[in-house]
Amino acid sequence: MTSSLSITSPEAPRRSWLSWRVALPYGFVTAVVAYAAVAGGYPATVVSFALIYAVFVIGLNLFMGFANQVSFGQNAFAAIGGYTSAVLTATYGWEPLPAMAAGMLGAVAAACAIGYPTLRLKGHYLAMGTLAIGLIVYEITVEWQSVTQGYMGLSGIPPLGIGGYEITSDRGQLLMLAAVVAGATFLSARLRGSRIGRALSAVAGSEEAARALGIPVARYKLLAFLLSAALASLSGSLFVHVVGFVSPEVFGLHMVILTFTMLYVGGIGTIAGPVVGALIISLLPETFRGFKDYQDLAYGAALIVMLIYAPKGLSSLFSIRRRP
Amino acid sequence: MADFSYIPQVLVSGLGIGCVYGLIGIGFCVIYNASGIVNFAQGAFVMLGGMLTQGLLQRYGLPLLPAALVAIAIVALLGVVLERVVVRPLWDRKATMFTMILATLAAQIVIERVTLLVGGDQPKTLPMFTDLPPIQVSGVAVSYQLLWIVGSSLLAVAALAAFFRLTRTGKAMRACAINREAAALQGIPVSRMLAAAFAISAALGAMAGILITPTQYTAFNVGVPFAISGFIAAIVGGFGRPFGAFLGGLMLGLVQSLAILGFGAGLKTVAALSVLLLFLFIRPSGLLGAAK
Repeated sequence: MTSSLSITSPEAPRRSWLSWRVALPYGFVTAVVAYAAVAGGYPATVVSFALIYAVFVIGLNLFMGFANQVSFGQNAFAAIGGYTSAVLTATYGWEPLPAMAAGMLGAVAAACAIGYPTLRLKGHYLAMGTLAIGLIVYEITVEWQSVTQGYMGLSGIPPLGIGGYEITSDRGQLLMLAAVVAGATFLSARLRGSRIGRALSAVAGSEEAARALGIPVARYKLLAFLLSAALASLSGSLFVHVVGFVSPEVFGLHMVILTFTMLYVGGIGTIAGPVVGALIISLLPETFRGFKDYQDLAYGAALIVMLIYAPKGLSSLFSIRRRP
Repeated sequence: MADFSYIPQVLVSGLGIGCVYGLIGIGFCVIYNASGIVNFAQGAFVMLGGMLTQGLLQRYGLPLLPAALVAIAIVALLGVVLERVVVRPLWDRKATMFTMILATLAAQIVIERVTLLVGGDQPKTLPMFTDLPPIQVSGVAVSYQLLWIVGSSLLAVAALAAFFRLTRTGKAMRACAINREAAALQGIPVSRMLAAAFAISAALGAMAGILITPTQYTAFNVGVPFAISGFIAAIVGGFGRPFGAFLGGLMLGLVQSLAILGFGAGLKTVAALSVLLLFLFIRPSGLLGAAK
């Protein structure tokens, strides 16, 4: 995680308190993961789930934060990735890694087919179109019983591993997920400063202006959508391999609200925001357990309050970048 | 493909569900015209209509008609509360369209969860309004519930048309739809019109939910699919045209019923959503053209 720090810091004014503020989110994430790794057991499981969601939210952030687009249907790609992994390993006995790759390929292909017409839409149409895509995939996972077992769900999905070696321990899974999240964060930090990232910033600022500068707007939007779908698919696959079970509810509408809450808490358009948000939102309900039923209620209410009073997210306090 | 002799029967039942989608679609248009907002919590009103009526029937032993009327009134009030608590603060802060969508979608989830906590997760239903065997019209069975649905919907549409044309408030709301700034300059309280639009829209949604519940079931999570169907109806009719939305709803109902006949009931939502995507990609301004 410190490596991505060195990417972001050159643009910051060289004042010590500022780089301290940049380091804070990464320090928080490292501390939480380290604590969970030492403690093992239940804390490790909670943080593992948070990291799985973090992968999804990093993808969401690429599309919504960097490119300033709207999608309420990214859960569709998590479902495609998750179910491809689950079906290929549990039913057809594939190795997890090729199954994950197949899932990602499928999700990206679907995103390409869906994104091409959908991303031409604007405003409410885009919002409702993407929401519909999430629902279509949900309905298919429910109804295609011969493959997905409907509401019953698929179980007996093997844990991740290469060759004969499987990661089964809590700590092993936690460290593996931490590595994946670190990689994805590094990727998004590199992307932010690259030619693609700058093009996306331009698109986010004004599509017309970006087009006037000669940026192929549609192509960059699609690219951000595909990257976002790939990360969503990865997160879906990681989920099924870590839990060993998948059902349609996992990737339902509540996932959309949950991940948006994470993105807003962490700070939309920032590098560290998605991970910070995922950890905070996953840890909060653990501090007052027994309120499981109230979780979605609390997330929804918190999201509304935040949209009204802190529309740029809580960790925008830590961000040195102003949103484009 | 199934037996063709079922087609008239299927079309008749499609007409019923189509009226319901039409009412929900009108709800979308009324709010959109008053404010330019698309209320993604519209489904919550539909769900609450059915659930509240069922609760009033069972817990307080009210007869069906008063229970339904009380439920509609409560939901209309909730629409105003939603407008005051969620939409108004964002509106005053000039929130982006996306923020508004996300906030109303979050409100939908909150209302769903509260309903789940209060009412439980078991599907519920309402008795038929008139419990008599269906009427046979040249081999097609027409249930009394269908007559209730079509009759009440047409009545609601007519009442709405009269409201928009004849009353002061209705005319003021139409003025807001044409140009909010100009309406405000004429002394029309635009923000009060927004609250009124939420109340009307919520009442229409609740009515739709109550009418359809006896033919299927209701539960805390039926809202979103209904909302999307209503949205499709509004798009097919050309967004912002209430009566276009009603026709759009009828069309969607018919298409969906035929899809059920062809592919089975499980895929009815997929069929509706496919209609949505088709319209979005090919003709986003709807069959009649957009209102503005």
